[in-house]
Amino acid sequence: MTKQTADNPNNQMVNSYTPFPARIDDILVETEDGNLKTFRIVLENQKDISKWNHVPGQFAMLSLAGRGEIPIGIASSPTEKGRILFTVNRAGVVTKALHQMETGSRIGVRGPLGNGFPVDSDLKGKNIVIIAGGFAFTTLRATLVYMLANRDNYGKITVIYGARTPGMLLYRDELKEWAGRNDLEVHVTIDSEAPGWDGLVGFVPTIAGEVAPSPENAAALICGPPIMIKFTMPPLEKIGWTDDQVYLSLENRMKCGLGVCGHCNVGPVYVCKDGPVFTREQVQRLPVEF
Amino acid sequence: MNEKFILRKDHLTGFLRKLSKGHRLVAPVRNRYGDLMFQVIDSLETTDLDLSEQAQESPKAFFLPQEEVLFSYEASGGIYDFRPINNSEQTVYFGLRSCDISAILYMDVIFLRSPRDDHYMKKRKDSILISIGCNTPGENCFCNATRTGPFLEYGFDLQFTDLGDRFFVESGRARGDEIFSEWPQFFHPVTEEDVRLQYQLALEAKAGFRRQIHVEPAFSKLRDDAVDTAVWREMASRCDGCGGCAYICPTCTCFTIFDRMESTETGKRIRAWDSCTHAGFTRMAGGHNPVDMKIDALRRRFMHKLYYDYSAFRRPSCVGCGRCVDMCFGGVDIVKFIDIVCAGTRKRTRDSRRILGDLLLEAGLISRTDLEKALSRQADTGEALGKILMDLGLVTCAEILGVLSLENM
Repeated sequence: MTKQTADNPNNQMVNSYTPFPARIDDILVETEDGNLKTFRIVLENQKDISKWNHVPGQFAMLSLAGRGEIPIGIASSPTEKGRILFTVNRAGVVTKALHQMETGSRIGVRGPLGNGFPVDSDLKGKNIVIIAGGFAFTTLRATLVYMLANRDNYGKITVIYGARTPGMLLYRDELKEWAGRNDLEVHVTIDSEAPGWDGLVGFVPTIAGEVAPSPENAAALICGPPIMIKFTMPPLEKIGWTDDQVYLSLENRMKCGLGVCGHCNVGPVYVCKDGPVFTREQVQRLPVEF
Repeated sequence: MNEKFILRKDHLTGFLRKLSKGHRLVAPVRNRYGDLMFQVIDSLETTDLDLSEQAQESPKAFFLPQEEVLFSYEASGGIYDFRPINNSEQTVYFGLRSCDISAILYMDVIFLRSPRDDHYMKKRKDSILISIGCNTPGENCFCNATRTGPFLEYGFDLQFTDLGDRFFVESGRARGDEIFSEWPQFFHPVTEEDVRLQYQLALEAKAGFRRQIHVEPAFSKLRDDAVDTAVWREMASRCDGCGGCAYICPTCTCFTIFDRMESTETGKRIRAWDSCTHAGFTRMAGGHNPVDMKIDALRRRFMHKLYYDYSAFRRPSCVGCGRCVDMCFGGVDIVKFIDIVCAGTRKRTRDSRRILGDLLLEAGLISRTDLEKALSRQADTGEALGKILMDLGLVTCAEILGVLSLENM
């Protein structure tokens, strides 16, 4: 039922509300509160697998029989073939049910949807700063993994990632691995001192102010709670960063993911279809409700 | 296209019978409660069509049903399978009004821009749209202001005009021409007199609107962010969030999607009408709601219909059918909103404390000296200006009400 066409460069699924059948291949509890789990998903049908191609920053609808659908950012890079990762916070009806599922359970996946980060166009050849707070690191993980797999396409890459406590950091093993690389600068911070933590301590905006590189030929990708984004901007602006260099990923209530159902509509845009990735310059032009 | 013929009224039933062979026929019928509704006509022998006025509801539900099954699923053991469902039938729609056609054209934009909505597209491909122009606009109609009627230039397959004992029929699409050539026995050539009469009726219809709604000035006010917060607050306080305006609106297409379980293994995924005035329309899992207050939801609603859609499509998504006017018992309809916005901004140019005084001055009921006297007393006592003027014996209560109602017109 689905088809991809040439006039649909972002690999948006055309023409269907029907998900791809999929199964949960692996589940990893990410955080100490048990509220965040990463689900490794494998599509059931070979034709769906060969068709699946996403851009970091896109999302998909996860479907649970009898429960409904939810939009979740894709946490894996398209370079990680054969698996799709979703890191899901337990928050509502569907995510609660998903968290109770076991390896081997069947779900539906509809996507990829929306527009991702412009990794193969505007971001190419630039110095990249990735700034993430809490569990908003997911699609930025996808982006980082993609960039590391295509390392020559980007200049200096800096990652600033913060969480409340060491136990609330996502992708801990990978953070360690990334910290050991010499083609990547990683700054991981937690909000306040904790036993056994010998890394950075302080809020993301503070750390960003200390380590952020020059805005020259650079782009920043920021995902996190609104309050974090709000306070991260002034230190960046102080050293010359402008809104058109800053990419944000918005979230909103969504039902269709195709720009039709109206739930995620903000002024002239639909977050699902026109986003979820926007430059801060675009976001600033949206009406006040955001 | 643009072919014109005459269909005699006593041939209408025969024509519709032939045309709807192998199709479903949907047309306005008055039910036993007296409601005029679009209905599926099973038999033209036993059902009387009623073309006397605009139907109470638009035909929206035939293209976007209040509840529609997107697919059914089966989930048991190791499977979770989906079976798409086709909800469409070949249908002839007869007796649509210009506003109804315009609303369908709007829905086409929403559902058929990429990515296309296949459920809607199938229903549209399966439809023949036959409209009838409105010789006499209804009480709440204002399609003249939204430029969506009372007669249309395009959008219909066939457009009928009631010429008394006969219909003037014109085609707006190739499908309409096919109908002319397929059933030539029903269609007679038009005379010059028919053309003249049709033109005159369409002109008179334009002059027949009882309401004057300033849609384009309202757009300008919204664009310039010139709507006073007090207006939004007042409207929000009168809105009960019932969603009636969105349900009755022929261009409100927002929907929600949910699962309905039929057993532990089987169920259906359903889409159903939703409304932006419902609490929770924008609430996310975890409770955060970017459009939390009724006032924000209302602003979002009217901005969408009168500003953002206007900016995007050069026309508002309001088609001037006036149905929300009768629907909303709080008076939070689009007509009232436009009236208040346009009246309110006119007042805003003046010192607000002087509105009543200015009105009475303009009406010649008081002199400027009277007004200055009353205003200085108001500065001391803080009493309402109207009360002071009445206490001074300068005007009567009826005179005040008179100028205020003039102002609200």
